[in-house]
Amino acid sequence: MAEKKKKQPFGSLRPDVDDILDWNNLPQDAFEPASSAEKESFIQDRESVSYWKDAWRRLRRNRVAMVAMVIVILIGLFAFVGPLIVPYTYDQVIPGANNIHPWHYSLEDQAAIDAYIEEHTGTANLSPDEAVAQAEAEAEARGETLSPVEAAKIRATAKANQGKGEENVTEKDAAKALGIKVKPFGYTQAELERMAAGESVFPHVFGCDNQGRDIMVRTMIGARVSMIVGICCAIIVLVIGALYGSISGYCGGKVDAVMQRIVEIIYTIPEVLVILLLGSTLKPIFEEFQNSGDGFLQQMVTLLGANLISIFITFGLLYWVTMSRLIRGQILQLKQQEYVTAARALGASGGRIIKRHLLPNCIGQIVTTTFLQIPSAIFTESFLSFLGMGVTAPMTSLGSMCSDALGGLNTYPYRLFIPAAILSLMILCLNLFGDGLRDALDPRLKK
Amino acid sequence: MENNQKTGKLLEVKDLHVSFFTPAGEVKAVGGISYDLNYDEVMGIVGESGSGKSVEAYSIIGLLQSPGKVIGGSITLEGEDVLAKTKDEMVALRGSKVAMIFQNPMTCLNPVYTIGNQLIEALKAHDKHVSKEEASKRAMEMLELVGINNVEKRMKQYPHELSGGMRQRVMIAMGLICHPQLLIADEPTTALDVTIQAQILELMKDLQKKTHMGIIFITHNLGVVAEICDKVSVMYAGKMVEQGPVDDIFYKPGHPYTMGLLRSMPRVDAESYERLIPIEGSPVDMLNPPEGCPFAPRCEHAMKICLQKMPPYVELGDNHRAACWLRVQDQIEKEKAGKTENKEVGDNG
Amino acid sequence: MAKYILKRVLMAVITLFIVICLTFFLMNAVPGNPWLSEKTPTQATIDALNAKYGLDQPVIVQLGKYLENLLHLDFGTSIKMQKDRPVLDIILTMFPISAGIGAIAIIWAILVGVPLGCLAAYKRGTWVDSLLRVICTLGISMPGFVVATMLLHILTGGIEGLKLFPTMFDGTAKSYVLPCLALGFYPMCYLSRQTRTAMLDAINQEYIKTARAKGLKNKKIIFKHALRNALIPVITYLGPQIAFTLCGGFVVEKVFSIPGLGRYFVMSIQNRDYPLIMGTTIFLAAFIIVMNLIVDLLYKLVDPRINLAKGGN
Repeated sequence: MAEKKKKQPFGSLRPDVDDILDWNNLPQDAFEPASSAEKESFIQDRESVSYWKDAWRRLRRNRVAMVAMVIVILIGLFAFVGPLIVPYTYDQVIPGANNIHPWHYSLEDQAAIDAYIEEHTGTANLSPDEAVAQAEAEAEARGETLSPVEAAKIRATAKANQGKGEENVTEKDAAKALGIKVKPFGYTQAELERMAAGESVFPHVFGCDNQGRDIMVRTMIGARVSMIVGICCAIIVLVIGALYGSISGYCGGKVDAVMQRIVEIIYTIPEVLVILLLGSTLKPIFEEFQNSGDGFLQQMVTLLGANLISIFITFGLLYWVTMSRLIRGQILQLKQQEYVTAARALGASGGRIIKRHLLPNCIGQIVTTTFLQIPSAIFTESFLSFLGMGVTAPMTSLGSMCSDALGGLNTYPYRLFIPAAILSLMILCLNLFGDGLRDALDPRLKK
Repeated sequence: MENNQKTGKLLEVKDLHVSFFTPAGEVKAVGGISYDLNYDEVMGIVGESGSGKSVEAYSIIGLLQSPGKVIGGSITLEGEDVLAKTKDEMVALRGSKVAMIFQNPMTCLNPVYTIGNQLIEALKAHDKHVSKEEASKRAMEMLELVGINNVEKRMKQYPHELSGGMRQRVMIAMGLICHPQLLIADEPTTALDVTIQAQILELMKDLQKKTHMGIIFITHNLGVVAEICDKVSVMYAGKMVEQGPVDDIFYKPGHPYTMGLLRSMPRVDAESYERLIPIEGSPVDMLNPPEGCPFAPRCEHAMKICLQKMPPYVELGDNHRAACWLRVQDQIEKEKAGKTENKEVGDNG
Repeated sequence: MAKYILKRVLMAVITLFIVICLTFFLMNAVPGNPWLSEKTPTQATIDALNAKYGLDQPVIVQLGKYLENLLHLDFGTSIKMQKDRPVLDIILTMFPISAGIGAIAIIWAILVGVPLGCLAAYKRGTWVDSLLRVICTLGISMPGFVVATMLLHILTGGIEGLKLFPTMFDGTAKSYVLPCLALGFYPMCYLSRQTRTAMLDAINQEYIKTARAKGLKNKKIIFKHALRNALIPVITYLGPQIAFTLCGGFVVEKVFSIPGLGRYFVMSIQNRDYPLIMGTTIFLAAFIIVMNLIVDLLYKLVDPRINLAKGGN
């Protein structure tokens, strides 16, 4: 009938004949009053979806955020489960593993290459960096360290040789000439021999650093430090910010005015500057405290590490400001609303109003802001570590690994780029997931 | 103002369907409405929030934002098919032939530009050759026309320096500066104080008399409709449930929803013991609208047929029609009773 | 307006004072002393040195003395890195280098970031928008040292045949390119993201609907009505970004071995050269606070609502 209606020209005063004919075909009881039950069943109410379910549905539809989440989980597994699988530890020095690349030649190939190099150049003709690295390795094997003067000498001779040697054969050239292909993963000479003997040896997937420590394990530990720092800082920021913000917003009046002045001042303090300062000054304070006795607190400090604690404190002191502002704003806004007045009229206490009425209403924003604090904390921690003010050796973090690798950048670029890539990927995915979380939790902020 | 007064149809809307394609599904915001508007005529579109009245107006002027889309029907303005126009043609049409003013004058003016700037800009958008002096002269004339004094000073002021009523006057001036044939006013008085509302209505009535333009007046306030409109369309859940001359709608309403609206409106002539009667219940879910009359669940007269089929339009008088099974029932009974002519229809309400 | 400026200036002074005190007490709380280096000096020497630099007096007295000197722009002298050279002198020779690189970086970041944000908003939903969003999110996810070392490795000979720029900073125009590029990348991406958000925010405002109803062309709507409104909040991000760029300079200066103030600041912390740490911290903090203040006032000036509302009252 709806279709027939469309044919009827609008404005015609004549009733549609078809319609009238139709009316005669109506069921007998058509004009009986409908019962209220019938009326009710008429409306098919959409099932009401809870806030979290709705948010989850929206989040799941956001493909970028979901991919980011999977990557974050993978990095989490890498950081927390990885070290259990790999049979090396982050501070374990593997004999003979100094500077091994994340690739290797099989024993026969290596012998062939060596012979080839031997044949074509009287003295092993290396680039200055390689020469120094080699000398360092040799010295270390002997249990000595290479003094800077010696290193400079070696570098100079290598440079001189490099210039005039027309037959300057490197390992790479030799391999190319012999048609030998590298095999993935690094092994030390000893390990290769053990493997030849039938033992199974866990490879150094990312190679080893100049002290012979497995880079993959160090990267895992570094990622773990980053994640712990991120999560702990987010929690600290959440707790301080939420408390401060809700008290300030809820009390209002003079309390609020004073608290907001404090916030404003902290807001204008140049954060990074103070973090650098705090990071570097708190560390020795904690170290001293750690060495001062053997009580419970001292053990805690030892367990967590003085550096981590000082990083937490700096974050706790400075980064809660944004969070507290956000929560205060939300609370001020919500305070005006009738249901809060109603709750107060019913005699609900202040704490109860905050807990039952105010917080559930700004939970979306709180979750988002807290989550986005994680990548931001990781970012800042890596910055501190890179400048040499984060965790101290032998503990490592992605930032300090990058810093360590800066020296041999040309020869061992992967030492810098592997941790840097994992760090960037981790922050990127956390940011993307955080963005997705924000879109999902705050329906008002739709694209 | 303009003397070339035209007669006949200015705007014709036929069976317009507009849907919003949301992630949750298709929302049929407007489900087949038709009406026409003559030159020099004011039509009111009445309905509650979400009934599709604004959406319908936006599709006329081409301001429908994605995910909204016109999916059927036609809109003809001065004999031209609006829906067939290209984007550029629509840009040229907006502001020149059709103007629109909005509900909230507080947020509808750009806060960082002066009143004068925004007025002149509206003029220049459609008349490239107008000189600066000429444009500002016309802008000031327009401001005077809408009852703003001290215009030279006003031209240099920013929106936040004006009161709400003043801003709405500026909005009207901006709409009328290119002498449009059709003005769409989307709840222009809703956000204003009652006294200001009356002023603005008075102004619009005045201007209409001077310019003879057609006005579509969207509102949820029947009182405003009585004040200014020649005819009224009542919308409910995207459907036009009743349509007719303003007197017919007020004195001989044919649809229970219209009756409900009338009863829920305060009247000066009401007896003191009469109470305002609200319409119980809330509108249907537009995401999956049920078969049958959308108003049925809230209708005190609901019948079994109402829950099964959408009622057809029944003519109740000159240009007055309603979509309700009650009226169909009346017709059938009348037919049975004396096989009288269809034209005379009872006015029971 | 005057009252507002006064309030902000007062706030800045208080903040600076707090930073000075904080720095001072932190310096004094650190165990150990600057004389502990390669050879442990005798107690007598330490006492003599402490007496010479006034380190044997109570902390409050030291602070008072320091503040008093500060009023005469006397930042003290370096006690370790460049022995007995006035701190102010060190700062004044090193700061111009850092400031130059920082200024170039922030300028290119604004000049590229803001238009890119507009472009993304203008083309929202298209592949251009998606591409820009990926780049900018990546940009704010890569710590400065990653960007810097990547540029360093790729463009200074790490990839064969691609040695476009010198590895070391030597003050030539060419050697400025990489540090500025690395330093400006983060603020560029950040500003671009903020601009996009602000633009989309503005586009959803009602006055845009009015502009459309007036029959304005899309370009005019975006670039006249939306942009001006969007830029107002973007200005507020500039203050923190300037601070960030300055501090990001620490990393870039380390990677490119630039003899700037940032690198020196870090070195002075590692060497525990108290007066130098104090001096650089206070100087940098003052600089950042002043920049924040200027940006904040600029913001109030650009927005007619605030400016004129104050004048009208």
